[in-house]
Amino acid sequence: MTIVLAATAATLFAVGTYLVLQRKLSRIIIGLSLLTHGANILMITSGRRGAPPIIGRADPSTFADPLPQALALTAIVITFAVTILLLALGYRSWLLTDDDEVEDDLADRAIARGDILRKEIADQETFMSHEHGDAGP
Amino acid sequence: MIAILVTFGVLGMVLLTFGERLGRWAFLVAALAPAVSTVWVCAQLPGIVDGRVVSEHLSWVGGLGLAIDLRLDGFAATMTLIVSGIGVLVLLYAASYFSSDAPHLGRLAGLLVLFAGAMVGLVQSDHLLLLYTCWEITSVTSYLLIGNDHTDADARAAALHALLVTSAGGLAMLGGFVLLAAESGTYRLSELADGAVPGGATVTAALVLVLLGAFTKSAQYPFHAWLPGAMAAPTPISAYLHSATMVKAGVYLVARLAPIFAATMVWRPLVLTIGLATLVAGGLRALRQHDLKLLLAFGTVSQLGLMVVLFGAGTPEATTAGWVLLVAHALFKATLFFVVGIIDHQTGTRDIREITPLGPGWRRVEATAAISAASMAGVPLAAGFIAKEEAYGAFAGMPFGGSAVVLAAMVGGSMITFAYGVRFYWGAFVEPRRRARTEGDEAELEPASAPSWRFVAPGVVMAGASVALGVAPQVLDPFASVAVASLHATAEAVHLELWHGFNLALALSVLTLGGGWLLVVFNRRTQSVLATGSAVPTGEAVYLVLLRALAVTSRRVTGIVQNGSLPAYSGVILATAAVLPAAVLLSSWDWPGWPAFGASGDVPIAGLLILAAFGAATARRRFSAAVFLGAAGYAMAGLFVVDGAPDLALTQVAVETLTTVVFVLVLRQLPDRFERQSSSGRRRAVRLGVAGLVGATVFVFAIIAGGSRIAPPVSDEIIARAEPDGHGRNIVNVILVDFRALDTFGEITVLAVASIGAVALARVGRRVAEEGAEEGKEPVVARAEGLNRIVFVDVSVRVIFHAVLMASLWLLFAGHNAPGGGFVGGLLVGSAITLRYIAGGMKDVRGRSRFRPWTVLGAGLLLAALTATFPLLGGGDVLDVASASVTVPLLGTARLSTALVFDTGVYLTVVGMVLMAFEAFGDEPAEAPT
Amino acid sequence: MTWLVPVPIVVPLIGAALSILAGRSRGVQRTIGVTCLTIVSMASVALLVTVEQGGMIVARAGGWPAQMGIVLVADRFAVVMLVVASLMLLGVLVYAIGEPGAERNHVGFQSAYLILAAGVSGSFLTGDLFNLFVAFEMMLTASYVLMTLGGRNDQVRSGMTYVVISLLASTLFVTAVALIYSATGTVNMADLAGRMAELPPGVRSAFAVLLLVVFGIKAALFPLFFWLPDSYPTAPSPIVAVFAGLLTKVGVYAIIRTQTLFFPPDSRPGTLLLWIAGATMVVGVLGALAQDDVKRILSFTIVSQIGFMVMGLGFFTLAGVAAAVFAMIHHIVVKTTLFLTGGLIEHAGGSSRLTHIGGMVRTTPLLAALFLLPALSLAGVPPLSGFVSKLALVDAGVASQQYAIVGVSLIVSLLALLSMIRIWAGVFWNPAEEETEPAVAAEGAEGRRSGPLLMITPTAILVVSSLAIAAAAGPIYAFSERTAAELLDPTGYVAEVIER
Repeated sequence: MTIVLAATAATLFAVGTYLVLQRKLSRIIIGLSLLTHGANILMITSGRRGAPPIIGRADPSTFADPLPQALALTAIVITFAVTILLLALGYRSWLLTDDDEVEDDLADRAIARGDILRKEIADQETFMSHEHGDAGP
Repeated sequence: MIAILVTFGVLGMVLLTFGERLGRWAFLVAALAPAVSTVWVCAQLPGIVDGRVVSEHLSWVGGLGLAIDLRLDGFAATMTLIVSGIGVLVLLYAASYFSSDAPHLGRLAGLLVLFAGAMVGLVQSDHLLLLYTCWEITSVTSYLLIGNDHTDADARAAALHALLVTSAGGLAMLGGFVLLAAESGTYRLSELADGAVPGGATVTAALVLVLLGAFTKSAQYPFHAWLPGAMAAPTPISAYLHSATMVKAGVYLVARLAPIFAATMVWRPLVLTIGLATLVAGGLRALRQHDLKLLLAFGTVSQLGLMVVLFGAGTPEATTAGWVLLVAHALFKATLFFVVGIIDHQTGTRDIREITPLGPGWRRVEATAAISAASMAGVPLAAGFIAKEEAYGAFAGMPFGGSAVVLAAMVGGSMITFAYGVRFYWGAFVEPRRRARTEGDEAELEPASAPSWRFVAPGVVMAGASVALGVAPQVLDPFASVAVASLHATAEAVHLELWHGFNLALALSVLTLGGGWLLVVFNRRTQSVLATGSAVPTGEAVYLVLLRALAVTSRRVTGIVQNGSLPAYSGVILATAAVLPAAVLLSSWDWPGWPAFGASGDVPIAGLLILAAFGAATARRRFSAAVFLGAAGYAMAGLFVVDGAPDLALTQVAVETLTTVVFVLVLRQLPDRFERQSSSGRRRAVRLGVAGLVGATVFVFAIIAGGSRIAPPVSDEIIARAEPDGHGRNIVNVILVDFRALDTFGEITVLAVASIGAVALARVGRRVAEEGAEEGKEPVVARAEGLNRIVFVDVSVRVIFHAVLMASLWLLFAGHNAPGGGFVGGLLVGSAITLRYIAGGMKDVRGRSRFRPWTVLGAGLLLAALTATFPLLGGGDVLDVASASVTVPLLGTARLSTALVFDTGVYLTVVGMVLMAFEAFGDEPAEAPT
Repeated sequence: MTWLVPVPIVVPLIGAALSILAGRSRGVQRTIGVTCLTIVSMASVALLVTVEQGGMIVARAGGWPAQMGIVLVADRFAVVMLVVASLMLLGVLVYAIGEPGAERNHVGFQSAYLILAAGVSGSFLTGDLFNLFVAFEMMLTASYVLMTLGGRNDQVRSGMTYVVISLLASTLFVTAVALIYSATGTVNMADLAGRMAELPPGVRSAFAVLLLVVFGIKAALFPLFFWLPDSYPTAPSPIVAVFAGLLTKVGVYAIIRTQTLFFPPDSRPGTLLLWIAGATMVVGVLGALAQDDVKRILSFTIVSQIGFMVMGLGFFTLAGVAAAVFAMIHHIVVKTTLFLTGGLIEHAGGSSRLTHIGGMVRTTPLLAALFLLPALSLAGVPPLSGFVSKLALVDAGVASQQYAIVGVSLIVSLLALLSMIRIWAGVFWNPAEEETEPAVAAEGAEGRRSGPLLMITPTAILVVSSLAIAAAAGPIYAFSERTAAELLDPTGYVAEVIER
């Protein structure tokens, strides 16, 4: 780990976060990709740096740590796959709404306004509206 | 005993399932279970009276001390007899109460049997948790029974009210039990009674919690309100659950615990205060009811209060009185409910202002009512009188202070009881006749038809019992003695007498009758005084307020946290992910010191990367944003090269190319510019804040983590063994297809499923879109033609395409020893296909690939899966690698290993995925309406 | 028996590949699906038996030693989860085949479902932190697909929320792995158990918290759960049933596994967990009360129930962890059942909005019973399995003198009862208020009886099995205790995995 790379990763994370917190799916996707870049930098720098780990090309003691490379490679490909899927979602969303804006969940909005336990309270009120005794003689 | 409980359970289930067909007969069938249990207890009685105890044990959850411990002693026997005996009578009564065409009779009968079973279990259980279990079962069945007529809002409200109150109390009680067991080390009632009494704050807390349960169940003030509401249930159910049995569960528990804990600080003050308050307040409410059933309901509340006082005092004398009252109340209260049920059934009303005069056919009913009311009022020669005498006697010489107050309150309460007892009888039978005489027009109100004998019989039986016990209480002596003894080991034998001679008790009884009579005589005045009491908020009102409060809180909280906006959710998550670890790191600060600044090679690329990132973030147009993102990706590749990761670099380039292409393919559909962000400055600030937090945390954490490396990485061994055992010189590839092949395997399945999903989504969309577009006018054709005019491009692309295909194959085969491998190979094919697409559009791509994308994908996955599984058949480990040295023309000698086969599977899957991706996004959908 | 260990992962994947190739015939695909999951279930049961008798089994992929390759570890915790999960997956698949609807007939459904199954098994079995990430991704990516197969507008919208949040979680996961590797130089869990102990305590605790957040998103802990109630209800009910029953529990599993295995007692975030648990159950149940749609109410109760499990873990005592394990077993079964019943309600009533349906106790009494039992069990009413799990938690809490959280949990279970009763009243008792849209109403009229046999039967079987859990609570709890003992003292685990 070096200061430069740590800083680079940190910056990518920051910019990615900034983008992810927006409403346009295309912006969010870009943000996620930047976050992944940041994570991958952390990944490859988590091992010692050095020559490409290919036997015969260099002295094995100078090799860069191959394990994080393999992990990063797997991570890259997986993210690639999911990004494709996410793009398909955006594509679909455009076909349905002519936009890739991530709308708010309407049900939640309804809750924020709606009245809760309405039925139960209503029943109890009707129950109490019928006078249960307690009248004068 | 367990067998009997099972009988209840099974019979109940059977009736629930098949009961509907039986109609009214369901109740007679149902009566079998309580009958059996009654007979069984009677058979045990001789032994019980001799002080023997029947008990059974069945372990349930040993680890939690949860077991089924049943124990039949004198007191349990009393309760069992009440529950089962009255159960039989109630079910017989119900058979005449309900008209045979009434709906859900089978359900009613079944639930009643289940309830009765739970109740029997409750009073026989020697294990607190078993008691709680039965307790809750009665609550649930009671809920279902009260709400039996679920179309009636009142019934629903009452059912819910009862359920919530009793369950709340039940949960408190559960907590109390667990605390109690933690202190005393046992859940067994019998062991609690024998063992030393634990003390201390915990026990006090536990007792309060337990009493909460008892008070809610037995409808003590201020939790009583659910009981009158429960009168929405059909009368047989009210008679059984809400006067004779379930509501006595709390009393039962108090009776069991009082002898053990009465001495502790909280017990007597709490129990006696609540009990007396309930006795008086309940009676006063009863005095003001016009609905006979409600009058009885409040009467029950009041009587339960008295029982809590008597049993709660925890002295043998008081307990004796409580026991007699328990029996007497069971007899007269159920009977009175029966009478109300009959009146309601025949005349159609329960309101004493509307009841029509009841003709001569009603003598039996009237007698039954008179006797029971007298017993309730504590008139001599009825069982109730004995109870009252005993009660007064018990508190006359009470060993603890304040007994005078208790006595006074009891006398007052009993006067009221007398008054509403009279009010009941008067209102039901005498008043209507007088009304009729004064108004004198019998013509209009024809006398109600008299009830059948079957209908009346159950009540008559119990009224008879009331008289018998009232006249000759001493027959109960042995039973009473053993019952009391089972609570107070030290208690001496009980002698019940009708005539004790002149003593304080007698004087108080006389006083009670006299005072009660005055209350009746000056009814109007008392009513007007009581009317002022209606200013006090009723329990229903409080309950309603609580419901509303709950509603408001849940809306507030949910409205805040669940605002439905994705940015908010992501923001919270990222902030948490940044703040929590950062807080921990800062709180215990072990800073390893700054690492090296960094290799000179990194700096320019890093700079480029950051620039690209900012470009992507600030771009106003989607397209340019995508281009910036691509640039960032290539910069990453560069970084990989510098850091000695050629495979990563290759993969990154290929992935980046494909992503960018697909991105652009999708972006074509979207408006090119982002709409102006209308977000407020505050929002921007929040975003920046979170972004800053995340960045800072990552920076610090990365340096600290990197600085605190303790052991050499495991990869050293991997490097050492890659060539000798992994048969490959490109260590990264060996890791991918051998050491960690399982990762790779999982990863290609991710590729596969993701592409399936992409196709699915885009295809659904396609169908929608194509409806709009007319036949033949596929824009793709036009575009392809447009490109094809540039023959040079076309030709060169075709040439390149094959070259690239060959290259990809070479990468696949050589990958094990040089940079490359299945992924890179497959992705390279992908970019080749991209070229074809750009040149010739989708048709060309389809022409190129002879197989359906699905087939390629599936084949690749299957190949990998089989290579992975094959070794298992040979008894090896999953993904074991076998290899042999072979000579491949053009490629020279190579070790051909199953790893290569596996890698081929990877290769195919990736190709398949790329093809699928173009299936999904390739075609031009109908033009976007712009 | 080592060969049995990878079976629950590879068999579904072979099935998935075959079912992609057999795209032309639904019948073949369904046969493949059911066969594979049956094999998986049998293998899991076999594993459970062998592990219970002979101790844990370690399978080394490629035959490499632990630190170099990837190990699959079948210990008590893993196999019991495996058994419950695979049975649920099988039952739900049958239900899904029985349910009418486009999604379940989509060419990709079976393969995605099988890949999801493989991912779940992988997450339980793997002994390698990064491989856990891969297994998660298999499971999640499949779940994205299953959720959005229909391509309806609401599905796409909630799909976006779901996918984006999960991607965030995955990125955080990779970051965590990177940081952990850079500090310890290994990703093998058993190896990590040893190496973590040598790190400075501050760093160790930071990792503990980081992992808690990473898995907390999947497990739907406060304040990371907000996405869940928005995403789940839009998916078809069998899919939600699997999500609700399994996905969140996989998150909880990962939390319990990592917290107990990696971190010595001094750096386990016990108190933090208890706070989170309290907040999760309270906010969750309040949310449930605020809904008027069966699926949404159930989704919120998932969250609230997760709080109970985390509470158990938070005590970090034998009793606590045992209670948590028991709660997981109970909750997987009951919650899956409830969502299946929810699907039946939707099918019979034509809607899942409480206001649109009602009075169904008369039309579909069987359905009423199928709902009431698991609902009461969820609310912890004795003698059902939920009560045993609640009692175990309360017991553990009192034993470790955490009275506050115990009180909270008791109050919450009262509110949980209320939320279940609201469904009962709304669906089976109350008269319907608003008229359902004619289209759905028609479907409802057609489905007056409780539902197709292929949907009823698996549901009924699940209900019965939830009763069985209550009946066999004794042995199951004893097993949970043994599991908890294994978890709290990982030396055995480490020794088995790393042979020196």
